[in-house]
Amino acid sequence: MTEPILEIIDLKKSFGDNHVLRGISMKVMPKEVITIIGPSGSGKSTLLRCMNLLNQPDSGKVIFLGHNITDQDIDINAVRTQMNMVFQCFNLFMHLTAKRNVAVALIKVKKMKKAEAEGIALKALEQVGLRDKADAFPGELSGGQQQRVAIARALAMQPKVILFDEPTSALDPELIGEVLDVMKKLAMSGMTMVVVTHEMGFAREMADKVIFMDQGVIAEEGTAEEIFVNPKNPRTKVFLKRILKEVDAMDPGIPSDFVPNGDSVQWGKP
Amino acid sequence: MVMTIDWTIISEYFPIFMKGLQTTLLISVISIALGFVGGILIGMCRISRNPLVYGASTVYVEAFRGTPLLIQIFLIYLGLPQIGIYVDSPLVAGLIALSLNSAAYQSEIFRGGVQSISVGQIEAARSLGLTYNQALFNVVIPQALRNALPPYTNEFITMIKDSSLVMTIGVLELTLRGKLISATTGQSIPVLLFVAILYFVMTFSTSRILRYVERRFAIPGMMGSDSK
Repeated sequence: MTEPILEIIDLKKSFGDNHVLRGISMKVMPKEVITIIGPSGSGKSTLLRCMNLLNQPDSGKVIFLGHNITDQDIDINAVRTQMNMVFQCFNLFMHLTAKRNVAVALIKVKKMKKAEAEGIALKALEQVGLRDKADAFPGELSGGQQQRVAIARALAMQPKVILFDEPTSALDPELIGEVLDVMKKLAMSGMTMVVVTHEMGFAREMADKVIFMDQGVIAEEGTAEEIFVNPKNPRTKVFLKRILKEVDAMDPGIPSDFVPNGDSVQWGKP
Repeated sequence: MVMTIDWTIISEYFPIFMKGLQTTLLISVISIALGFVGGILIGMCRISRNPLVYGASTVYVEAFRGTPLLIQIFLIYLGLPQIGIYVDSPLVAGLIALSLNSAAYQSEIFRGGVQSISVGQIEAARSLGLTYNQALFNVVIPQALRNALPPYTNEFITMIKDSSLVMTIGVLELTLRGKLISATTGQSIPVLLFVAILYFVMTFSTSRILRYVERRFAIPGMMGSDSK
């Protein structure tokens, strides 16, 4: 049996009296694409941020490649070079060009020579279709381009898994597609990905496993078909119906009588 | 007593003015530089989560910002000897006082610059495996210093002008030289105006140089860069 890349065991996290995560357990297998969906405030982003310890969990284990990384004697910086994150607000380093954004961790963390790091950076930018923007600063790029640079920045580290924290939520609708396309290419190339998203089309099309979170617990999990076509938990059904209405309101091309049940699900991006 | 204004006094005493100018420049540059380094150190303490470090640095800043610089100069030159610490040269005493004082102000400027950087910048750096210090020095500080250049310019200009206060402990800098020349010759207007002009040349050059640095290091695509 293959070992999971990442395993979460009974993870709990509170902010004051607010119990954001109330016992989460899950596994991420190699080359798997897992999407985490759920209403705002359900703890999706916190769960993701507990995986690379940007937030310190209160209890529970985060086992990465066989090591519990919440242990004190684990070098978290070494872990993070293999588990990168793509943020909702891109968080590109504003004072560095696209190329330097990608290269800086290679130089500072992996101790590469500048020329070698920049060579890898250019290749990574090529993969997200932005090699011609290598010398542009983040402020000169569109949101979609910035997020693609952020993906290249993660990619260049050759991580074992990339965590995506609502990567398209801060984007104008017309820019979402280019980012999702890059993510799809990445998924198909075999990258292990954990994606918190509101893009149900992406979740449905690309996910090997969909996790529905609600009020700090995993309310339901299964394949995309199981979750989107035959949700069992009533809360999942309510959530999908509501999300669908929003999508419906934005795109009149979707039949308004659609219910997430049955085989005729045709919505979302093709 | 009315006395005709005699502008030739300036060329007559020109070498002495220049000596004063030299001393003022020396005091200003050294105390600005020491204040800059000290300001970064104290500024880092001010954003520390360690209550002791934070508390001590806060007391420092409030003390030096909340009392007259003149008193600080006197305390260091006249006060320290009373507890057995002798600062022989008034120049050194003046330099210490100005540097300590400027460090307090510059620490607040630095802190403001750091806090203008979104926490997402650090998180992104940390999530790539950079240590906290690497994130600070490679990501936060380069951006913080850029954002803080305008208030730094203010502080540097203030320091050049406030350096004149060390004349009170007998440092022969520009203001004291001017005052002495004016007293000896009675030509107050030309002498003091010329001293004022020399200060203005220093402060205006400072402002121009830093404006150039600001433009030179402006981040393309950000506010204040040339792309409008």
